Amino acid sequence: MSARPLKRDTGMGVSFIFSTVIHLTVFLLLALYGSHSKPLKVTETYYVDVVNLPVASPRSGSPSQKGNDSEPAPPPPKASEAPMALPAKPKAGAKVQITKPQTTPLKGKEPAAESATEFAERMAKLERQTEARQQEARMASLQEKNRNLGSGRAGMPGASGKEAGSDYMAYVQSRLKDAFQKTISHSSQKPEMTVRLFIDTEGKLARKKIDRSSGDRTFEISVLRAIDVASEHFTPPPGHKFFEGVFVFRREGILPNKP
Amino acid sequence: MALLLGAGIIVKLVLILLLIFSVVSWAIILFKFFQIYRANSESDRFMDFFWKSKRFDAIASQVDRFANSPLTVLFNEGYGELKKVVEGDGTSEKSAMSTDLGGIENVSRSLRRATNSEITRLEKYLTFLATTGSTSPFIGLFGTVWGIMTAFEGIGKTGSASLAVVAPGIAEALIATAIGLVAAIPAVMAYNHFQHKIRVLINEMDSFSTEFLNIVQRNIAGK
Repeated sequence: MSARPLKRDTGMGVSFIFSTVIHLTVFLLLALYGSHSKPLKVTETYYVDVVNLPVASPRSGSPSQKGNDSEPAPPPPKASEAPMALPAKPKAGAKVQITKPQTTPLKGKEPAAESATEFAERMAKLERQTEARQQEARMASLQEKNRNLGSGRAGMPGASGKEAGSDYMAYVQSRLKDAFQKTISHSSQKPEMTVRLFIDTEGKLARKKIDRSSGDRTFEISVLRAIDVASEHFTPPPGHKFFEGVFVFRREGILPNKP
Repeated sequence: MALLLGAGIIVKLVLILLLIFSVVSWAIILFKFFQIYRANSESDRFMDFFWKSKRFDAIASQVDRFANSPLTVLFNEGYGELKKVVEGDGTSEKSAMSTDLGGIENVSRSLRRATNSEITRLEKYLTFLATTGSTSPFIGLFGTVWGIMTAFEGIGKTGSASLAVVAPGIAEALIATAIGLVAAIPAVMAYNHFQHKIRVLINEMDSFSTEFLNIVQRNIAGK
């Protein structure tokens, strides 16, 4: 440098001091403000469940109730288990009818004429009749219940619950359809491919054979992938028998075909 | 105060870091403000003095009065180089005006060098402001995220999710973002302001360099 150096102030020390003072002042002001401000009161919060408020009439139901999903239907009314009301003591001048004592009023017999033993027998007979009627009602209720349970939903008699039903073809088709929806891909207009599946007694895919090719490589890869995906969830065929099925894969879906 | 004292260790570290950023950036803001203010005011006064003066040596004797102006530095460097060229030829200053083109090139180079060094001086520390402006909100956000994580952990341990339990933890966490923004906003504003002022000074330096060379060349042509 040929020029004479100029005298300049280059230090930042004063600025640092100023900056620190400014920050301290702001901090102290905020602390002072914080100490003078009133602390917030924490009040307890009450929640009202408007949706599930009890309704005036239980028969009108709850607004949150969703058809048959929320609660099972109420059981059928049970037969009255309360003891049948005893007949009133015969009044004076009433006629007693021996054959139908429970329904007809007693007429034409003096109460004084009926002995205590007869009265006790009549009461025991009435009680037996009442009990027999109640048992009949209970039996009828149980039979009705059994009829409802036997609608087929519980599965085939003797089934273990780990096998598919008798329509195993439909079951496999359903699994394939689910998997095929995720893997479907094609490059031609109307691809159609026929595949023969062999499922062993344990529900494992033993073999898959292409009976008829679609000519669309992309479609065939997607079909084979769908079969692989679906085969992971196959249950054993009914009766643990070897299963063979032919399925026609199209762009629109899967159709079963008899082997 | 309770919010600051009640915060976790990571949040406290973040707050301390942001405080340092804020202190340093404000120190730079103050320093740059006075530096650029002096540069502008002394440049104006120097230009008045420059155009009123008839001789370079008269100006050179008064440059210490305008030491903070970048234009003074340019003149000082240009005049020094011009003097060197003249003294190198063994002639007087007056005859230096009739020096060859190589001498003018030397003066031009020295003016360019002085301009660059002045730009560097004026832009010094501004990168820290830019860094503070761009990173402080993220540092604050980090503190907030950490604080909220800790608060939720505490809520999970207590097993209660009422407003009284959740709110203090969230407030403690949010203070980090608030301080990050407090540090960043002035830094960004000051950075943009100083950039504008420095651009104006650079234009003035370019204009002065051109004028200085024109004067030197006019004198050469006149001789």
